Amino acid sequence: MLNKFKFFMQQSWLLLLASFLFGLMIAVADSAWKPKVEANKTAKIKNLMKGLINAASFDIAVKDANIQSSKGLVKTDIYKALDDKGNVLGFEYIASGSGFGDKIELIVAVDANCEKYLGYQVLSSNETPGFGDKIKTDGFRKQFINAPAVEFALTKVGKPENIDNEIVAISGATVTSTAMINIFNKSLVSVKDALSQKGLIK
Amino acid sequence: MADSNTVTPGYFNALTVGLWRENPTFRLLIGMCPPLAVTTAVKPALTMGLCVIFVLVCSNIVISLMRNLLKPHLRIIMFCLSIAAFVTVADLYLRDFSPKMSETLGAYIPLIIVNCIIIFRAEACASKYNVLISILDGIGSGTGFTLALCILAGIREIMAAGTFAGIRVMPDSFVPWAAMQMPVGAFVTLGLLLGLSAIITAKKD
Repeated sequence: MLNKFKFFMQQSWLLLLASFLFGLMIAVADSAWKPKVEANKTAKIKNLMKGLINAASFDIAVKDANIQSSKGLVKTDIYKALDDKGNVLGFEYIASGSGFGDKIELIVAVDANCEKYLGYQVLSSNETPGFGDKIKTDGFRKQFINAPAVEFALTKVGKPENIDNEIVAISGATVTSTAMINIFNKSLVSVKDALSQKGLIK
Repeated sequence: MADSNTVTPGYFNALTVGLWRENPTFRLLIGMCPPLAVTTAVKPALTMGLCVIFVLVCSNIVISLMRNLLKPHLRIIMFCLSIAAFVTVADLYLRDFSPKMSETLGAYIPLIIVNCIIIFRAEACASKYNVLISILDGIGSGTGFTLALCILAGIREIMAAGTFAGIRVMPDSFVPWAAMQMPVGAFVTLGLLLGLSAIITAKKD
């Protein structure tokens, strides 16, 4: 047994040592650059939020709210968009769920009374190019602008120009379309709960 | 293991061999995935080339340092391990400091791990010669590869968008050739450049 171990170590010590050192090098590089990743993500979120509601500033309305996703509750902040007089223009939050390729993360905007959606932006997704990734295009996104903040239903036939609770699926990307509807439907209830508990909406 | 019969190349030769005589793209035709995939514009092509130079030089240094310790059956796995480590560092750096470029290049940066050029240089040079020769070889081969990418990308970008590295070089009346941005543009341009390099080589010989 000892001889076998000795033989194993003689044959593979360089591989083991190199694996350890290279792993250490990657870990050091990753942790050293981590603040930059966080800063990039925050800047991206702020940019996307600004694209949805042209507000003077954004404040945290609810810290670490429990938002429902397809994989259970996720803690995330709900932001309120304020104009230069301090009036609330709407709320924005990150909603997520499982897509066809990978997790889909969206920034969703609702109005100040949480009665209608103001739109969404895709924070991260890995959907099929030419099919599922059409969630990033205006053609699909426009269906959500000014749509009522109620439970959505998916339809395969219909006019995308009609703004109501029926969302026309992307042709050839039913899984992604369903995932999008689920993200909106699941997160909406928890967002409304969190905002009403804070007295921010009636 | 270093071969005692191997003749050590000169420093100048190590630096210049990859530029033309053993240019990975035009002469050896290895590592042909990036020349076809990331040459729609000069900036991503240059970024890819710089990443390959970084990985080539770093992996050549490591492999050259441990060349006398390498056992034959562990040789390839050690090459892959060191290449993968440096590619991961390059990928992390791009993701953190140039996220847009990282998104543009997508999977092609991690795919450097399986790029034949790097394993080929590790096998042909770094596992046989000293560190300085290996560094020069890495710089030379990497630069040769980067130049090839940039020439290909430059032609495609000018024909497809009328720009070079984002700077307008064609008159406003120029009608862009959309096909040059598509895979067919990469294949046609690469084919023509390979033909040209064959003509130059034949004339030289």
